[in-house]
Amino acid sequence: MQLNRRTIVKGAAAAIPANIALTMLSTKFAFAQDGDFADDIEILNYALTLEYLESEFYRQGNAAGLLAGKEAMYLGRIGADEDAHVTALTQTIMQLGAMPVAAPGVDFGQAFASRESFLETAYTFENLGVSAYLGAAPEIANPDILQAAAGIFGVECRHAAILGNLRGLPAEGGVYMSPTETPMTRAEVLAAAQPFLTGAGSMAGDAAVTK
Amino acid sequence: MKRPARAPVLFGGRPVIAFNEEVDRRRFLRGAAIIGVGGTLAVTTARDPVAFAQAPMGDLDILNYALTLEYLESDFYMQGLGAGILQGREMELVEPIGQHEAAHVTALTDTITQLGGMPVAQPMFTYPPNTFTDRAAFLMTASTFEELGVTAYHGQVVNIDNKDILAAAAAIAGSESRHAAILADLTGGNPFPAPVEATRTMEEVLAIAMPFIAQGS
Repeated sequence: MQLNRRTIVKGAAAAIPANIALTMLSTKFAFAQDGDFADDIEILNYALTLEYLESEFYRQGNAAGLLAGKEAMYLGRIGADEDAHVTALTQTIMQLGAMPVAAPGVDFGQAFASRESFLETAYTFENLGVSAYLGAAPEIANPDILQAAAGIFGVECRHAAILGNLRGLPAEGGVYMSPTETPMTRAEVLAAAQPFLTGAGSMAGDAAVTK
Repeated sequence: MKRPARAPVLFGGRPVIAFNEEVDRRRFLRGAAIIGVGGTLAVTTARDPVAFAQAPMGDLDILNYALTLEYLESDFYMQGLGAGILQGREMELVEPIGQHEAAHVTALTDTITQLGGMPVAQPMFTYPPNTFTDRAAFLMTASTFEELGVTAYHGQVVNIDNKDILAAAAAIAGSESRHAAILADLTGGNPFPAPVEATRTMEEVLAIAMPFIAQGS
């Protein structure tokens, strides 16, 4: 099935290089806005695209030989979690009789140039995932899907905390993000992720299919 | 992808919580009695008609349940962090956790009040000897608490009616997941035990927590 993707945020985000996008993640906070998602399927496909991005990121990064010892073990487990999320979301979407989005084209730039850049980008993706799930979760109608999405959200929080600690960041504001996690709207998540997506693939595209 | 959550043991099964007022104990236990937990609870509530009322669990009940667990965590860290058993990076990593739990207490209290409910009062806590004298034991108990808290919140996700309360509870639960991961790392455990957070029902959580809640006066 060929999805007719519409890149509604591409004009604004395509010019933002990845290293600048990293710093954008902490700038705006909000839950999903009314109309961000038409239904649970759209939320699941939104999450699936992010999980595809993470899964492929760790596949490439963990193969680059940048880490050793406990760091390598931890990032191996994190990558396996993201793979499991891709599988779970894909199966859930199919069980609901819908079509999972295809994996996006990706470009991680210089993320695998060094241990530090790998961990920094991983840390950024995890915190983006945390905020994306939290922003979308209250919009989920189906209790089973809500339970699963919340459960994935919590694990992304674990990943983010451990990555912050591996980077030696300050505890508050680095390992932890205040007593409560911060949600992001769909548009904010898209703007942050877009620099890593290539070709026609865009996380905004599903809106064109379902609306 | 759920995994069965193994029940931990806290404080060697000794009571650490006591409510000053019977009404507060009842507020905390109300949900427990409705769903019916083990023998310990049955003893403490057998003469308590309020606790056995067959009212549905509402958001306020869930918030008071969460508040009581947060009281316990907050007090536990306040005492542990004040005991001088952690140093350096460990102290830096655990100190904000204590601050977060205190902030959760405040947030939940305010939310319950704003909803027109009555927040359960802070219980009294008594801990077994040596709870705060040994670094490794303190961190292991903290790790157990955090994992319990994570499963407690995730066990209520689908029971919360109000979207705003759900969002707030999820935002808190996420920070508990971060705590759990760091404490697992500090204690040589696995920060990533499963691809999806496990859940515990209120019944399961209270079965673990009940031994530490002393009978009301």
